[in-house]
Amino acid sequence: MIELDDAGQRDRAAGEYVLGTLDTGERVAFEVALGRDPALRALVGAWQDRLLPLTQQAPAAEPSPSLWRRIELSLGVADAPRTRRAAPPWWARVRLWQGLSAAGLAVSLVMGALLLRQTVPEPAAARYLAVLESPDRGSTGWVVEVQAGRTLRLVPVGDVGHVPAGRAWQFWTKPEGAAGPTSLGLVRAGQTLELPVQRLPAVGARQLFEITLEPEAGSPTGRPTGPILYVGSTVAL
Amino acid sequence: MAATVAGTSSAGDHMPSHDAPFDYESAVMACARGERYALQSLYQRESRWLLGVALRIVRDRPRAEDVLHDAFVQVWQHAATFDPALGSARGWLYTVVRHRALNAVRQPDRLVSLDPDALARWSDAGQAEANDGDRGLDADSLERCLDRLEAPRKACVVFAFVDGFTHEQIAERMATPLGTVKSWIRRSLAALKECLA
Repeated sequence: MIELDDAGQRDRAAGEYVLGTLDTGERVAFEVALGRDPALRALVGAWQDRLLPLTQQAPAAEPSPSLWRRIELSLGVADAPRTRRAAPPWWARVRLWQGLSAAGLAVSLVMGALLLRQTVPEPAAARYLAVLESPDRGSTGWVVEVQAGRTLRLVPVGDVGHVPAGRAWQFWTKPEGAAGPTSLGLVRAGQTLELPVQRLPAVGARQLFEITLEPEAGSPTGRPTGPILYVGSTVAL
Repeated sequence: MAATVAGTSSAGDHMPSHDAPFDYESAVMACARGERYALQSLYQRESRWLLGVALRIVRDRPRAEDVLHDAFVQVWQHAATFDPALGSARGWLYTVVRHRALNAVRQPDRLVSLDPDALARWSDAGQAEANDGDRGLDADSLERCLDRLEAPRKACVVFAFVDGFTHEQIAERMATPLGTVKSWIRRSLAALKECLA
């Protein structure tokens, strides 16, 4: 995983992001960081401009005459419910960057849900995001979005494969400083899980979420007994 | 863009365009204000190049058109997030299209099958397409800097950016260990940055 605290690694990651060689996990994490880090967006902008001339190595291809019409039709649908904002708040920007990748797209759905909720004037509740990665392969499998007082969403973003026959995937959380993890139930491959946050012992930054491989009916001990398949901790948004 | 003279690098001193320079930044900002003609002007100006870039990565024309469609919808919806202080509008536009195309080929169920001739076609990687007209890009500096890299390292950068290959695909195509490819790319980017500074 990229350490975005390190100046050299930040610039390298920005270059590889533009080049397209970050793997899915790195890309999701990078795009999450982009949403809250204007300096990182500036590094990306500089790399975009450095490498832009390489785009002329691909020969031009004339689009079908109907393509523009198709785009226009989609705009009609797409922009109808949107209201113009003078200055988009930072989380609207996050949506753009995250819209740039497939995995990010799932994150942007999460952010989109937040966006909708924002239209209801309520006191802002703290929001957190965790990217769950495979400790073996480093690949991203899930994103957790949680907002204090509301719901937790566990969204699959990568190819997480299938639950082996006779086994189950169990979802856990451990808030920072807690003695041990709390089970949040079993999860199914490729399905978004939504839970009321009242099921969680707490909600905060650096809160651990993980998915472990357990017997078919879940861990018999109330504690993880099998290997960790995906793990990550929250960052505040 | 074929005739390049090493050393002439300042933007704007290359071949003259036939008309006044297109203002990409203004067009994107007009999109943010909901002015649809601005999106159309971007499309008219750039779509054949953008489709070419997408087609090269996804290798399938209907899918490339889907990528371009989705990218233009995204540009329209998110134009307000473009910040001209952070880079050019054209760079932003190509990043939107390229990442859309990369998504299309990197879906878990859609692993791209590599064209066996890909490597052969790219034995001359780095040669700019000479017959597609002037796009007003300052390609000379980047070309000169790429030419300073050893040929296999230059090919890695081109495979990644132009063909949208992953580290693994590049390693396979070049019959080179994965770690070597990763380190070549890392060092090539650092060298390009220094050369272009």
